[in-house]
Amino acid sequence: MEIEVSFVLNGKRVTVKAPPAKSLLRVLREDLDITSPKPGCEAGECGACTVLLDGKAVTSCLVMISQVQDREIWTDEGLVKDGQLDPIQKAIAEEGGSQCGYCTPGFVMSAKALLNSNPHPTEKEIVESISGNICRCGAYPRLVQAIKKVANE
Amino acid sequence: MKVSHYTVHSPRTISEALNILKDGAARPIAGGTDVMVQIKDDLVKETELLNLSYIMDLNYIRDDGDFIRVGALTTYSDLIRSRLVNEYSPVLVEAARTVGAVQIQNRGTLAGNVGNASPAGDGLPPLFATGAKVKLQSEASEREVDIGDYFLGVRKTVRQPNELITEVSVRKMKPGDYYFFKKIGLRSANAISLVSVAAVLVPAEVLTFKEARIAMGAVAPTVIRAKSAEAAILNCQLTDEKMKEVGRLASEEAHPITDIRATAEYRKQAIAGAVYEGLYEIVNGFRSPVNGSSV
Ligand SMILES: Cc1cc2nc3c(=O)[nH]c(=O)nc-3n(C[C@H](O)[C@H](O)[C@H](O)COP(=O)(O)OP(=O)(O)OC[C@H]3O[C@@H](n4cnc5c(N)ncnc54)[C@H](O)[C@@H]3O)c2cc1C
Repeated sequence: MEIEVSFVLNGKRVTVKAPPAKSLLRVLREDLDITSPKPGCEAGECGACTVLLDGKAVTSCLVMISQVQDREIWTDEGLVKDGQLDPIQKAIAEEGGSQCGYCTPGFVMSAKALLNSNPHPTEKEIVESISGNICRCGAYPRLVQAIKKVANE
Repeated sequence: MKVSHYTVHSPRTISEALNILKDGAARPIAGGTDVMVQIKDDLVKETELLNLSYIMDLNYIRDDGDFIRVGALTTYSDLIRSRLVNEYSPVLVEAARTVGAVQIQNRGTLAGNVGNASPAGDGLPPLFATGAKVKLQSEASEREVDIGDYFLGVRKTVRQPNELITEVSVRKMKPGDYYFFKKIGLRSANAISLVSVAAVLVPAEVLTFKEARIAMGAVAPTVIRAKSAEAAILNCQLTDEKMKEVGRLASEEAHPITDIRATAEYRKQAIAGAVYEGLYEIVNGFRSPVNGSSV
C-alpha cells in the first residue's frame, strides 16, 4: 500500500507516493533524489541523516513519511542559493571540517538549526548542538571552529 | 517485516484516535524514536500504526494547580523550553536535557518514554520522584494511574491495547525543595543510562529534610524507589558519612542485571556513587532549591 504525502521541501511543494511507514530519509533519497541526508546507523544515533523539520534538527531515519504532511523540510541542497554555498557550508569547507565527507551534511543541518535559533552560541552550546552527530574522521575541533566562525561574522 | 506491510492511521482528533484504537490492534507512534528503531529491528508485530503526530490537542503544557499537565505529543525540547516546567519541575528538565541529543529531544515525547516502559527511560525517575500520574483514555473510559502503579515489568504496563496515554501530569515541586538527576552512560550524548537516579528532598530546616523521594533507573525491571535510603535522609544532619550510608542503602535496594553495557556489580557501585554525588552537591551548595516564583 502507498499513500500520497505533500510537503514543502527546500522551499518548494512536493508530492510523493510511498509506503506510509517508510522513513523520510529513504523517501528523500530514493524517491526525491535528495541524497545529502546519509544513511548511517538508521537508528537515530549517528546524525548523518539530519534535516530540518519545521526548523528543528531531526534524524530523518526516525521520521515516518506519514508524519510530514504539510510540514516544511530543509536539507543541505536547499541551503545553496544561486550556486552560492550557505555561510556554514562555506565555513566547514574552509576550516577543513570535512574529511571523508559522509557526516558533513548532517553536521551542516545541526549547525544550521543552532545558528537559526541562536546566532551567537557559546562553545558549550555549539558542542551540545552537534553532540548527536558522529564524525569518525574526528574533525570535531574544525567543525566547532567553523560554527564559531559563522557565529562571529 | 518489510516497511510496505504497515498500514498507518493518521487521525486529527483524540476521539478519532480512540476509535481507531478500539479493537486494540494498532501500535501508537508519537516521535517514533523508539518505534522506528523497533520497526527496523523487526520488533513491531502489529501491522497497523496509529500516528499521533497530527493530533494538535495532544500538544500542550498546562498549569493546573498542584500539577503540570503534559500532553502526549509534548517533546523533551518543549519541556526544556517551558518556563512552567523549569519553575515547578526542574528535576524533569534536568533529566530531559540528558535524553539522546538535540535530534532526539526534538522528536521524543515524555508519553512515549512512559509508553516504551524501559527501566532505563530517563524521563521516568523524575516522574517517580515528584509523583506523576498517567492518563489513559479509551473510547469508553478514562482513568488516571499513579506512576508507581503503572509499570509491571520491562515493557509491561497496566495500559490496555485499546487505551491511549493522552497526558502525563507532573506534580509541582514546592519552593525550597532540593533535587537532582544523575545519569551514568557510556558517553554524554545518545547513550542509554547504565543507571540513573532522580531525587526530590523537602526541607524541614536548613539542609535537614522531612521528606525524601529517590527513584532509580536501570537497576530493576521497572524504575524503583529507594525507600530505605529515603528514610535514612530524614531529620538528620547529612554528614559525609551519612551521605555515603544513604548511597550504600540505595545500592542495596538495587537489583540490576549484567548486560553488554555494564555488569550488575558496576551498576550497584555506580548508583551508590550517583546518590552520594547528588547529596554532596546539595549539602555543599552546588545546587539551588526550587525557586517557584522567578526563574
Ligand atoms: C539515538 C537515540 C537516543 C536515545 N536516548 C535516550 C535517552 O538518553 N534516554 C531515554 O530515556 N530514551 C532515549 N531514547 C529512547 C526514546 O527517544 C525515548 O524513549 C522517547 O521518550 C520515546 O518517545 P517517542 O515519542 O519517540 O516514542 P515512540 O517511539 O513514538 O513510542 C514509544 C513507545 O510508546 C508507545 N507510545 C507512544 N505514545 C503513546 C501514547 N500516547 N499512548 C500509548 N502508547 C504510546 C509506542 O507504541 C511505543 O511502544 C533514545 C532513542 C534514540 C533513537
